[in-house]
Amino acid sequence: MRAQYARRTQVLAGVMGFIALAIIVQMTRIQNSAEADVFRQQAENYAYELHTFYPNRGEVYDRNGRLLAGNKTVYEIGVDLSAAKDAHAIAFAVSSELGMDYNQIINLIQNPPEGLSYIVIADFIEAQQALNLQELKKALQEQAPQGTRGGLAGLQFKSHPQRSYPEDALASNIMGFVSREGRGYFGIEEKYDTLLAGNPVQALVPTDPNKAFEIPRVPDGTTLILTINRDLQAAAEQILDESLLVYSAQGGTIIVMDPRNGELLAIAAARRMDLNQFWNYGVIYDNASEFNPAISKPYEPGSVTKILTMAAALDSSTVTPNSTYLDTGSILIGGVNIKNWNQEPWGVQNMVGCLQHSLNVCMATLSMQMGAGTFYSYMDNFGFGHLTGVDMAGEAAGRLKLPGDADWYPVDLGTNAFGQGLTATPIQMLTAVSSVINNGRSVTPHALYAMVRDGRQYNVPAQYAGSPISEQTADTLTTMLAVSLETEGSLALVPGYRIAGKTGTAQIPVNGYYDSAQTNHSFIGWGPVDDPQFMIYVWLERPTASNWGSETAAPVFAQMAEKTIILLDIPPDVIRQQLVAK
Amino acid sequence: MNAAVQNMNIPNVNHYIHAYKIAPWRIQRQWIGNILLAVVALAMVATLYLIITSRAAIAGREIQDLTYSITVSQQVSGDLQTLLASLTSASAMERRARELGFRPMEPGEMEYLIVPGYSAPQSYILASAPHLQLSALTIPPVYNQSLLDWMDEKFSSYRGSQ
Repeated sequence: MRAQYARRTQVLAGVMGFIALAIIVQMTRIQNSAEADVFRQQAENYAYELHTFYPNRGEVYDRNGRLLAGNKTVYEIGVDLSAAKDAHAIAFAVSSELGMDYNQIINLIQNPPEGLSYIVIADFIEAQQALNLQELKKALQEQAPQGTRGGLAGLQFKSHPQRSYPEDALASNIMGFVSREGRGYFGIEEKYDTLLAGNPVQALVPTDPNKAFEIPRVPDGTTLILTINRDLQAAAEQILDESLLVYSAQGGTIIVMDPRNGELLAIAAARRMDLNQFWNYGVIYDNASEFNPAISKPYEPGSVTKILTMAAALDSSTVTPNSTYLDTGSILIGGVNIKNWNQEPWGVQNMVGCLQHSLNVCMATLSMQMGAGTFYSYMDNFGFGHLTGVDMAGEAAGRLKLPGDADWYPVDLGTNAFGQGLTATPIQMLTAVSSVINNGRSVTPHALYAMVRDGRQYNVPAQYAGSPISEQTADTLTTMLAVSLETEGSLALVPGYRIAGKTGTAQIPVNGYYDSAQTNHSFIGWGPVDDPQFMIYVWLERPTASNWGSETAAPVFAQMAEKTIILLDIPPDVIRQQLVAK
Repeated sequence: MNAAVQNMNIPNVNHYIHAYKIAPWRIQRQWIGNILLAVVALAMVATLYLIITSRAAIAGREIQDLTYSITVSQQVSGDLQTLLASLTSASAMERRARELGFRPMEPGEMEYLIVPGYSAPQSYILASAPHLQLSALTIPPVYNQSLLDWMDEKFSSYRGSQ
């Protein structure tokens, strides 16, 4: 009996062992079969999800830490067709909340494109509207019978960031904007698009919670701090707007720069747009150069160029401040008779008188005395015809015709000396004249103060574009300009502060001829003369209230200078000198 | 008498002890005991492994949830920051100031006082201390290490110490 039981047990153990062996063999066979790779691939497909992580676009602040460009959350609203229960309810709710066409939505849900299980109904929806729909969906779900889905089942909300500009149109010409595709256009947004946008990361995200540590970390885009002073920018825009009305000008720009380091403090443009509604760009601007004319719109600057002609003449020792000449009211160059602005002779004048009375004949005489080689060498060194390198997208270089160019004529040597026959942008003029203020060195204008990345701030150092004139020439010319303004009793003067500067009135070429009825008025000035802390460029396009820049651009400069003095806390010369003396 | 009895009993005792040692049922019990011990040990290891794995899975899920919460918090923070900037924008502040009866200052109205020891405000610094980022380096191994990984690490460190 015992032997029989023992045999049965052995048989049973053998059968069990055989089954276990068969299972192991089968497992091994499956693991190494031809289909194993397919199964493994299928498993991996479910184990990971391919996901693209878009970093938040970097913010932009002004120099005092005020937000100029940030991000806000908006929503994509879509329908999961497999979960949608009541298309009519969804269409009604969405059309009511978002003001969309009901028929369009119902048609989209009931006749989706082939192969799609999820369709997007609307995107870039404000958070409040999305919240309203979410609450409605939740309420309907709670009202639905137990175990059934609510009327808005299948309606889905996906949040994502969108660029937002809290200051709306303020500094729009500096900032530029970001399209819905996330690409920057114009200004800072385009120039630093790569830095601001950061680097999108495409990664396989594990669905296995045990591999949570594999979730990639996507650093945000770089945050930028601009040199712009928000309050000064607002003041510049306000002053420009008022000036356009007062002087009936078609356009204009005001730039405020720190001449010591090239930091741009404000750039006002006549046309501005609410950056939160960037799609109105085509309605507001006729062409791209109007977005920020300060850097993109070259024009014939006129008499403000006389500063540079005089600088070249002094620096090349062609004249001294006390050199005199007899102004006969006209000079013949290249067969063309060049006259003064009032068509009158001014008799014997020294170089201060030349600047004070803005004599074209004097300047043409100086350029002739210097000769084309010397004159154009200086103009080239001042940066005419070259980009300044300002860090905003869309800069134009202007044009300086040179001897040898097909369209250069001998008369250009004379007209170029008083700013006609050449073109430059306001920012080029600022850069060139900064050498007179900054001991002979011209600064590179820039709008970026610092970058912030990974909790560290990197400040941008000042850069110098060259030294076209000597320190002595710069000092001499500054004094000459200050004296000429004071002697003239210019409307650009600011009580309590010594200012240097120059007015410009330039006729505008129309169809190859200068139209005396259409002029551009400019003024470039800086102060305080003994410790320059700001330089301001004013350009008014085609003002009709007056024919002379001394009556339009000069008082606008004074207005802007007064505002700058207040906002930058610059004490009057007397108090400042007391401070220095102590 | 006693000595005689003792001499008589010793072979019997040895015989019984020997019989006890070679009894088939005893060997079977030893085998069963050993197998049961192995099964219990395996069960304990399996239980421990399951506990650790489930804890790691829960922790992993919490990490995923926290990562999502961080994203949401950052979005909310960004929204609030933008809203605050809108409420304190240049135009809004000017409007509020005018409503409160203020007006822009004229240059002639400014008075400057010389304050000994006063220094002008420094350049704006936006950067703060770097944030601690959630990454593989900051998550303790206990939350993402399997039992086998742990054993391997201990074994490696043991070998390394020798």
